Amino acid sequence: MQLLIKYVDKLLSTALTTVMAAILLVVSWQVISRYLLKDPSSVTEELARFLLIWIGMLGAVYAYRTNSHLGLNLLLEKISLKAKRLVLILIQLLVIGFSAIVLVFGGSELMQLSLELQQISAALSVNMGLIYAVMPISGVLLIVYSIANLLALFKGELLDIHTQGTV
Amino acid sequence: MGFTAFVLLLVFFVLLILSVPISFSIGIATLITMLMSMDLTPAATTIAQRMAGGLDSFALLAIPFFVLSGLIMGQGGIAKRLIECAMALIGALPGGLALVNVVSCMLFGAISGSAVAATSAIGSFMLPEMKKQGYDPNFSAAVTAAASTTGLLIPPSNILIIYAIASGGVSIAALFMAGYLPGIMVGLALMVVCYIYAKRKGYPTAACLPLKLVFSKVLAAMPSLFLIFIVIGGIIGGIFTATEAGAIAVFYAMLLSMGVYREVKVTELPALLLKSAETTAIVLLLIGATTAMSWLLSFENIPQTFSDFLLGLSENPIVILLLINLVLILVGAFLDMTPAVLIFTPIFLPVAMQLGMSPLQFGIMMILNLSIGLCSPPVGAVLFVTCAIAKTKLENIIKPLLPLYFSMFVVLMLVTYVPWISEAFPRWLGL
Repeated sequence: MQLLIKYVDKLLSTALTTVMAAILLVVSWQVISRYLLKDPSSVTEELARFLLIWIGMLGAVYAYRTNSHLGLNLLLEKISLKAKRLVLILIQLLVIGFSAIVLVFGGSELMQLSLELQQISAALSVNMGLIYAVMPISGVLLIVYSIANLLALFKGELLDIHTQGTV
Repeated sequence: MGFTAFVLLLVFFVLLILSVPISFSIGIATLITMLMSMDLTPAATTIAQRMAGGLDSFALLAIPFFVLSGLIMGQGGIAKRLIECAMALIGALPGGLALVNVVSCMLFGAISGSAVAATSAIGSFMLPEMKKQGYDPNFSAAVTAAASTTGLLIPPSNILIIYAIASGGVSIAALFMAGYLPGIMVGLALMVVCYIYAKRKGYPTAACLPLKLVFSKVLAAMPSLFLIFIVIGGIIGGIFTATEAGAIAVFYAMLLSMGVYREVKVTELPALLLKSAETTAIVLLLIGATTAMSWLLSFENIPQTFSDFLLGLSENPIVILLLINLVLILVGAFLDMTPAVLIFTPIFLPVAMQLGMSPLQFGIMMILNLSIGLCSPPVGAVLFVTCAIAKTKLENIIKPLLPLYFSMFVVLMLVTYVPWISEAFPRWLGL
């Protein structure tokens, strides 16, 4: 399990760094192609938007891994260690439930529907089902990390939660 | 509002209090509420689809860029030169260092979109310096926290972009212009408090710098301040969109920090990219989840019902606006600004518009209001950052914060009841 987590960590952070750099280059290319080459690119806007969906979902998994999602953690700071562990276990179970139902199940349904209906994007002509594939993928990753958290919690470890500001 | 709204709110609050991350709380509450009137498959698919749809926006792309440029600028170099420029200009006034702190935060805010970035960038220079000069560290920490919020109103500003999306299409360029005057007013109001406080405490006054040195310090800050012309000028002039301006800000910040000042190494770049992707994703997941919830809210006609209820409370618009402000201040004390804007814009904006307020003015009022919450306990992102830098405890900086809150509240009332403050500048530019 630990080895698996290590590989997933590495893969996820590499993917995010790469997609983030890619998005920066794509939008810059949009400006360059419009002003310097006088030949506005027709695909950059759509490509950047799709990459953003991927950053949003995969990054959400990464933020979950680093325990940095925003939350009202007043209760966790007040209660005993034992109660804290129970609450943290409950949170993992809730996240597993949400990821399984909405992201894995709902996301796969959405993906299949788009693939079957041949829902093709306007500029890049990709099937939207491929874009939506990120939903079940991130769902599975969230479940993997939640299970890893659960194992750690059962072993008696606590999660180090450090939410950060977004503005 | 009925039973549906009750269930939605109840589940959301229980999860929130249990410390479930806000975005998951929203998602789970939406799912459970939908399952009361829908089968599992359509409910799960609808939420997944709304979430993906909520993320699919070119305007949202500006957020990772402004987060990244803020991170790069926060690494040093740029912040230091802005502080030295402010120091040369107003450092010799009574309470000089506190005033310099406020002005540096405003200048940093004018080139970056993040209050947290401003707090850590300006705070880590200014707080030790103020301590050395005999300022009370609690007061200094309070000033830094309050002043950093000016950057949320002064463009570029990530939260204004988030509001533009939550409000369903207010122009980002117009919002950016609308933020200047209120942001500067907050800065001036804070400086008045600092001035009085420093006079009363008899804090030391720095000697005037020779004119030649003043000139060279201002000149040294010019390359950083030039970013204002590129980003804001570019957006206003219609040369590029806010998103493209964000990408350009990243390259300009990279050029300055890596090429000219040489204070950020190329090898540090991947970590900064990853960090900005993480912060962005936290915001994006919230946007995705609230998009699903907003769909449910309007499906159940909840904003309309709520609006009727609120407008039924009083005939007097002044009272209702005051009420909205009080609720928002309370919300802001507990929720981070991004979820607060995403959740409460669809609920309060229709009410404000029925009272004749423009979405532009409402947005500025809301951000200014939530800025007070951002630097007030128990939950305040910039507060935690300043306390960590100043090595002080949260409870110690509440007392020096009180007069600062008061000055922010005065500006909030002006912004609430005088539309001109938010609307004059964008109108003058024809936005």
